[in-house]
Amino acid sequence: MLLAVDRISVFYGSARVLSEVSLHAAAGEVVFIVGRNGAGKTTMLKTIAGFLHPAAGTVTFDGKKISGWLPERVARLGIRYVFQDKRVFTKLTVRENIELAAFAAGVKLHEAIERVVQIYPKIETFLDSKAGGLSGGQRQLLLIGRAMVGSPRLLLIDEPTEGLAAGTIEEVLRALELMRGEVTLVIVEQNLAVVSRLADRIYCMKEGHIPAELSQPADIQNQACLETYL
Amino acid sequence: MLNSTLTLLRKFDVLIIAGLFLLLTPIISMDRSIDFMIFCIFVLAYDLLYGYMGRLSFGHMLYLGVGAYAFTLSGAYLSGNPFLALLIAVASGAVVGLILGPIIVRTTGACFALINLAFNQVGLFLAMVAFAPWTGGEDGMSAVFNKVWIFDFSKHTVVFYFSLVCLILVVWLVRRLTGSLFGILLRGIKENETRVQFLGYNTFAVKMVAFIVSTSLSAFAGALFILNYSYVTTSFIDPLRSVEVIFASLIGGAGSVYGALVGGVCYKLISNYLPNYIQRWEMFLGAVMLLLVFKFRAGVWGYVVSALKRYEQPAEESKPHSEVSR
Repeated sequence: MLLAVDRISVFYGSARVLSEVSLHAAAGEVVFIVGRNGAGKTTMLKTIAGFLHPAAGTVTFDGKKISGWLPERVARLGIRYVFQDKRVFTKLTVRENIELAAFAAGVKLHEAIERVVQIYPKIETFLDSKAGGLSGGQRQLLLIGRAMVGSPRLLLIDEPTEGLAAGTIEEVLRALELMRGEVTLVIVEQNLAVVSRLADRIYCMKEGHIPAELSQPADIQNQACLETYL
Repeated sequence: MLNSTLTLLRKFDVLIIAGLFLLLTPIISMDRSIDFMIFCIFVLAYDLLYGYMGRLSFGHMLYLGVGAYAFTLSGAYLSGNPFLALLIAVASGAVVGLILGPIIVRTTGACFALINLAFNQVGLFLAMVAFAPWTGGEDGMSAVFNKVWIFDFSKHTVVFYFSLVCLILVVWLVRRLTGSLFGILLRGIKENETRVQFLGYNTFAVKMVAFIVSTSLSAFAGALFILNYSYVTTSFIDPLRSVEVIFASLIGGAGSVYGALVGGVCYKLISNYLPNYIQRWEMFLGAVMLLLVFKFRAGVWGYVVSALKRYEQPAEESKPHSEVSR
């Protein structure tokens, strides 16, 4: 198992946000986490990425216990985190945004740009523009492309299609499909059409717990499931 | 057009800067010109932290003062060689940065500004009271150095050309640093440090390097000031004077090498000439500050660049129309 989260509990001050939650992902698998707002989905990703440290339980990546590690140390293992709010470095150019990822991953800049262009071909025309001038969809695709620089092993993506137009969602899906098999994806998503199209497995979260795991992505459209978790 | 002009400017910038200072000298006097150039070095050092990394310091006079005192004390107690004293001054700035950095760079915002101020106050006390037997306390002390080869720093012409070369070297260094990945990292940290960490960078190390470079360059500027004035007093480490470099950085436009130079010269012009006409000239400076904060956040240089961009854009947009009409 590439990623194993074992009975972690996470607190914000005295409030328990995750309560003995476990999940796992095998190499190349596409795993989705669904649930209502406040269920603890983003907290789960932040804990895996090292931004939050669990009070109990462990996060193991490729056999190494990484819970308690600093985010930069986690990132160096090949774990990338694409944030929910599509925040690129707005004052930097698109090229500079990619350059930051390239150096961190030990990849030459032109190779990194080629990789991002592979994910999002249109980005080539914006390379010297300030990233702050990109639309929401373009930013999201830049972030996904940038996260793929240097062959990462695990990608944590928080709500990749949130607030995007239908046409852009299709571009994001195309990018994610392109990455399928090449990298393990753990994605938080509320758009069920996206979930059922891409998921290998689904974790349903509710109030800091994972009461259900669906191995058949189509089950997410099931009425009982919808009412319980979304 | 604008891009090609800026590229051309970048290519020959050190020559242009040197030429401008040479042109300015007969107008404002050599003494003032030296003062302006050294102050510009200080603004460049400050801007590395404020403009590029987004950390506003209220106590940067500490690092300038460390350089000024290290330079003078070296001349008085160690050796009369001014170059050795310059090296000691820069090294002292670096050592102070290395010691205080682990405490200071962990902070941001108001905390960063005030912790620098606090250390600056400690530095002032040390220079004025605790180490008064060596530093001369409030009276200060003279700095006397030997002539080394052609470098007789008692002659202002020598100090002028030496300061000019130093300024050009610092401009080149800061431009190299800020144009490299290190500069991109600093700007990334300014915008969102957490995201830089998630890319796998140890941002603490990056901030430490920037801090030490800034303190070393500030100390270098402090030493050059003493080379020019030949004496040191506590005014060189007075935290109240930190406001000068903050003003200069804001006037020129933070986060730009050229902005720092424009700001340094503008501030010095205001502080040198305005008191001849307005007794309470600091009030004017306050009004300028308000204007900058509310209307021209990018400063003089930033405003010039954006005005040129605005001027250029309509011209470019009109091109396709004219082609169609033909």
